[in-house]
Amino acid sequence: PGLSLVGASGPATEVLCLLNMVTPDELKDEEEYEDILEDIKEECNKYGVVRSIEIPRPIEGVDVPGCGKVFVEFNSVLDCQKAQQALTGRKFSNRVVVTSYFDPEKYHRREF
Amino acid sequence: LEDERRRKRRSRWAGGEHEKIFIPGMPTILPCNLSKEQEEAYLLQLQIEEVSRKLRSGDLGISPNPEERSPSPEPIYSSDGKRLNTREFRTRRRLEEERHNLVLRMQTINPEFKPPVDYNRPPVIRVSD
Repeated sequence: PGLSLVGASGPATEVLCLLNMVTPDELKDEEEYEDILEDIKEECNKYGVVRSIEIPRPIEGVDVPGCGKVFVEFNSVLDCQKAQQALTGRKFSNRVVVTSYFDPEKYHRREF
Repeated sequence: LEDERRRKRRSRWAGGEHEKIFIPGMPTILPCNLSKEQEEAYLLQLQIEEVSRKLRSGDLGISPNPEERSPSPEPIYSSDGKRLNTREFRTRRRLEEERHNLVLRMQTINPEFKPPVDYNRPPVIRVSD
């Protein structure tokens, strides 16, 4: 839609942002949230060492930043690149996974 | 009980590392400097394209495993005895509705947005379940 994205992923970092993967609705349920977290952790661990994962969950009446996205912090930029190559375009809950690198400083400040 | 739940549970990931969805003109790697609006518009566009692809190709994502399907409603037949609310019919209707909602949302962000050529507003008359 008027956006040229070809070859413009920006510099690689050690934090991968996964989009189009979860809906705020799915994250409301405790059991479903735990399952989603487990699925993502398990798959990401195949491509590198996962240091931390953040999945912002909805809060009634609050516009939670980053809700609907998943952030995975890897041990190294290389691990993160490997995971991006492996995961982008895959299907998760029947949705196409979209990825982008994320600024680690923003990640640690939880500026999602 | 917890163990049993874990065993029964299927991963939400489908296929292996090499089974990917390619949507022409829509890369799945985004730059990190998109505005929130650009990002949302891009994801909406991607979802609209994906639903359109399913509807056009007839690959509706219906699981071949009956255990993974939702229970069927009571059948509804036409006057000449043909079943109207088949699973394919119901899935197509759901996808059309999903696309309709995506297009509406997209048009609030980008009033210039042109929906896919095969997009029709869902008809008001419908077969009820």
